[in-house]
Amino acid sequence: MSFLNKLGIGVGAAAGARSEIPRAIGSSGRTRTGGPAPVAAVGATRAPELRESSRVSNGLKEFLWNLDGLGRGTLLDLGPAWQTTLSFFIERGFRVSSEDILRAWKDFLVEEEGKLREATGRAAQHNLDVTPAARAARFLEANLQYPNSSFDAVLLWDLLDYLEPLVAKQMVANLTELLRPGGVVFAMFHSKKPEGFQRYRVVDPTTLQVVSSPVLCPAQRVYQNREIQDLFSRYRTVKSFVGRDQLRESLFIK
Amino acid sequence: MWKKEDVKSQGLPENLPGNPANSPALVSSPPREASTGLPVSSKSSACISQGIRIKGEVTGSEDLFVDGHVEGKLNLSNGSLTVGPNGEVKADIFAREVIVRGRVDGKIVGREKIQLWSTGNVAGDLQTERLMIEDGAVLRGRVEIETGKPIDKHTEARSAAAGTAKSGAVSVITGSVAN
Repeated sequence: MSFLNKLGIGVGAAAGARSEIPRAIGSSGRTRTGGPAPVAAVGATRAPELRESSRVSNGLKEFLWNLDGLGRGTLLDLGPAWQTTLSFFIERGFRVSSEDILRAWKDFLVEEEGKLREATGRAAQHNLDVTPAARAARFLEANLQYPNSSFDAVLLWDLLDYLEPLVAKQMVANLTELLRPGGVVFAMFHSKKPEGFQRYRVVDPTTLQVVSSPVLCPAQRVYQNREIQDLFSRYRTVKSFVGRDQLRESLFIK
Repeated sequence: MWKKEDVKSQGLPENLPGNPANSPALVSSPPREASTGLPVSSKSSACISQGIRIKGEVTGSEDLFVDGHVEGKLNLSNGSLTVGPNGEVKADIFAREVIVRGRVDGKIVGREKIQLWSTGNVAGDLQTERLMIEDGAVLRGRVEIETGKPIDKHTEARSAAAGTAKSGAVSVITGSVAN
């Protein structure tokens, strides 16, 4: 059984899907004029239509309330680059950085497996340290590379549920360094192992759109309240909201 | 279904600049009729097609389609740059408009507009007036949107000058070309 199969990751899963492109950020409602129309996605593969649903998010509401009056803040979005989410924050004056950590994690695992196969194929002693700690260190050396105290807010979404526990722990530690004092993290945790794989985008100040997507990574674990508190022990305030859909939204204020 | 003809022509929409089906040359100016010296089509543009690798700086004021590899710097002051689905660009990009359907590793400044299509993958900061991201596009970097910048007379004059000099071909001014 391959390394990726052990982790339950199917290589070659359809990546992303297209849907109608939203209004351009910064276009102020102007209609598109001239030039090529961006909506004509012509790809070799086209994923099936994504299922979308909306959920009221008290966590998001509280997150925005905490950022109110910040002026030109800086936000790190660790989910996919959705136009709606970026527009939402940019129109509110934020400078947004985007990094899809789960996609990076999947790519990293594929790369690691390739390296491992290559090393074992040579039949020589390979010095690739495959312990979870070493893997976590390698992953974080290549990702989340920003200066300390460079963000006022982080959208962490539910990605901790999908990362190896050691990577999740180290990543939270790194994020704490990236946040300015008083900075806010918005995270979500599943109360039970999720059946599907979902991504989230911001629709309005109180609503998130839940997008069912092809599985990038399987859920690794379900965090209990005590474990979440331990992960974010360096934060001074923790607020949680439990939804009917078994999703806990949490705010952590540094 | 819609856009079927696009798939036939290497998945390129007809209205995208620099469809390599029309201009397979490495870096080519619009084809001209030998007898008159006039361009056959004012819409055709330069193209760096698949399998071509350029290291160095590419500058110009025309539209450019990149479906090969470019490493260095891409500067199209008044042109539109399209990175095709097979394109891999490791360069900072400066252009009026940038469309990404392939891979870009570097900062992108699209003065008027940047479009990331579903197959687009960008690792670098984006700076533009308008940004369009299709679902499925991958972005790793910072987004800076500049809106409502007043155009001063100096800028207008420069734009006008760039417009009159639009016949200049895209050129590789430094570096090496390998196929």
